[in-house]
Amino acid sequence: MFRHKFVIITFALLLLMGSPATKAGETYLSGFLQGLYGGGLDSDNPTLTELTASETRLQLKLESFSDGAEFFGRLDFVYDDYNDPNVDLELREGYTKFRVGNNLDFKIGRQIVTWGTGDLIFINDLFAKDYRSFFIGRDDQYLKAPQNVLRAAYYTGLGTFSAVYTPRFTPNRIPTGERLSYYNPMVGGIVGGEDFYFEGRMPEAKLKNGEFAAQFSRYFGTADVAAYFYRGFYKNPTGMDMVNMEAYYPRLNVYGASIRMPALGGIAWLETGYYDSREDIDGDDPTIPNSTLSSMIGFERQLTSTFTANLQYQNKTILDHDTYLASLPEGFNETDEMYHLITSRVTKLMLMETLILSGFVFYSPSDEDFYGKFSVSYKYTDALTLTMGGNIFDGNDGYTEFGAFQKNDNVYIKVTYGY
Amino acid sequence: MKFQKIIMVILLALFSGSVNLAAQDNNKAEEIMKKAHLALFYAGDDGAAEVTMKIVNSKGKERLREFTMLRLDIEEGGKQDYYTYFKKPSDVSRLTFMVHKIPFSSDNRWLYIPSVDLVKRISADDKNSSFVGSDFTYEDVSGRHWSEDNHKLIREEKLNGRDVYVIESVPKEKYKGFARKVSFIDKENYLPLKEEYYNKKDALKRVFTAEKVELVDGIQTATLRKMVNVKKDQYTTVEFSSIKYNVGMKEEVFTERFLKNPPREYIR
Repeated sequence: MFRHKFVIITFALLLLMGSPATKAGETYLSGFLQGLYGGGLDSDNPTLTELTASETRLQLKLESFSDGAEFFGRLDFVYDDYNDPNVDLELREGYTKFRVGNNLDFKIGRQIVTWGTGDLIFINDLFAKDYRSFFIGRDDQYLKAPQNVLRAAYYTGLGTFSAVYTPRFTPNRIPTGERLSYYNPMVGGIVGGEDFYFEGRMPEAKLKNGEFAAQFSRYFGTADVAAYFYRGFYKNPTGMDMVNMEAYYPRLNVYGASIRMPALGGIAWLETGYYDSREDIDGDDPTIPNSTLSSMIGFERQLTSTFTANLQYQNKTILDHDTYLASLPEGFNETDEMYHLITSRVTKLMLMETLILSGFVFYSPSDEDFYGKFSVSYKYTDALTLTMGGNIFDGNDGYTEFGAFQKNDNVYIKVTYGY
Repeated sequence: MKFQKIIMVILLALFSGSVNLAAQDNNKAEEIMKKAHLALFYAGDDGAAEVTMKIVNSKGKERLREFTMLRLDIEEGGKQDYYTYFKKPSDVSRLTFMVHKIPFSSDNRWLYIPSVDLVKRISADDKNSSFVGSDFTYEDVSGRHWSEDNHKLIREEKLNGRDVYVIESVPKEKYKGFARKVSFIDKENYLPLKEEYYNKKDALKRVFTAEKVELVDGIQTATLRKMVNVKKDQYTTVEFSSIKYNVGMKEEVFTERFLKNPPREYIR
């Protein structure tokens, strides 16, 4: 009922505002209509449906400026052929931006927040990701899930201080077994379907359970350098409450730094973060991840005027690995002390940038698993874009990062009309 | 013996004289190209304009791009900052793009994608990449420094009723963009009215024309520009409107802060 009211109020507001530009140049309405249809390639995937996507999405973008402040809203109406109920809506973004004095900027409300240097590798970016969208071919903008935050940036000659406070912890959106299967350590295998619908237990909605993220950044010549801090929880339910047999989000602090600069005719970046597992400081609790040092190095270069490629290497080293091994009960899957990941993105532009071929692969030599994303996108007109793509997972074991999704291989088509 | 010496001296004198003359001509040509560069890319100390770009392929199919462009000259003829805020088409709307142009070096470029709140630094090795899928390259937008080419004044003539210098430019170092360029520079305001780009086989590749020149804030400005890609049989036009010069833009506008928060005093 609340939802219906919300829809009606929103439309009423839009109608009241009338034409896209009521007061000359002050309010704009735009957005897109999109159909996304995808199917799984593995017939033995234990999910509820073989359709990885079957949705029509209408996005309304509304922006409004007045002296000294501005508003931006992005509202999605989704009709899903499979879900019950069929209609869903989400406020993707709805925030106000304003300036106080000369050096202080505020951005308050529901929004997407991103920082850090990696290309689809996130070390110090602990803002919510939506892997459910990422794995089935939704647009890049859906990889990031919105958070309701208070965000401030203070600009000084020394550098920029940014702070993001999220009163209510916002976890990642990960496969739940509905459309995408996942690995369940209790069962010891890949599961999906109604019996294994999965949601982690959220921290209680208390003030002390908010998330706080901060960044200090500045330029040294052409190099941008940043330091990061995060206090909150693991964004995936990596903890196991053995009493209630429930997965939950253990407490986490992260301290990190990054540098990014032009080098060798391209852009190079380096980022590191120390994941301080606050509920397992000694590393002797096998139901909670140990503290870990995570680092990456990356390089991107334009190889021809229409072809760009990048390469990244990430290393995660578990601290107190011996303690972890000693405490690990018999029959539990053992995590290596060192995790290695190599990724590469290639992008080829053709036909005056109307045809875009793109590929992204993740490969871990230590976990022996793989995830590849491929897409071909054609801009038939400025408004109409046709996309075909696929997501391929592979792995030796079900319990590794990408191996867990090895039955979710899928292909999709997507048609977008922008207005 | 004496006679030979005299001949020699005369020949030398003649030769050195012609060299001097040639050198003077080249100096003049370089001076003209410098003025042309400043007239087209460094008008005023800063500038803001609404830009409509139309890309027309060989079948006549049109694509449109609309953006606001801000520019600040840090040094006349030298460093410059550019800021682009995209409005259309819908899939790139609200995107911002910033360039710190450094002559004789790689530019620094940033792209901000608001839908994912992502600041991306872009490797800028190839200045001959297409600018947003058009027939203009990044270098066409921000200019190639005059001292990177050798210039020769080949003739003076009339083009569409305007007196022009016709200057041939050849890159000093091997260059992908062109092997030879012929520019037709307006004698009065030094705007390039036409530029022909030839490849190393001396085939005409692209032709730039200033289709419309107007007086804006006392500055002669090419408000409609066209680039024809001869080989691909397609073209791009760029139309500038709401042009403002010397608005007192601050260098601060061309930083990450404003990349993420477009300066609304210039961009709506």
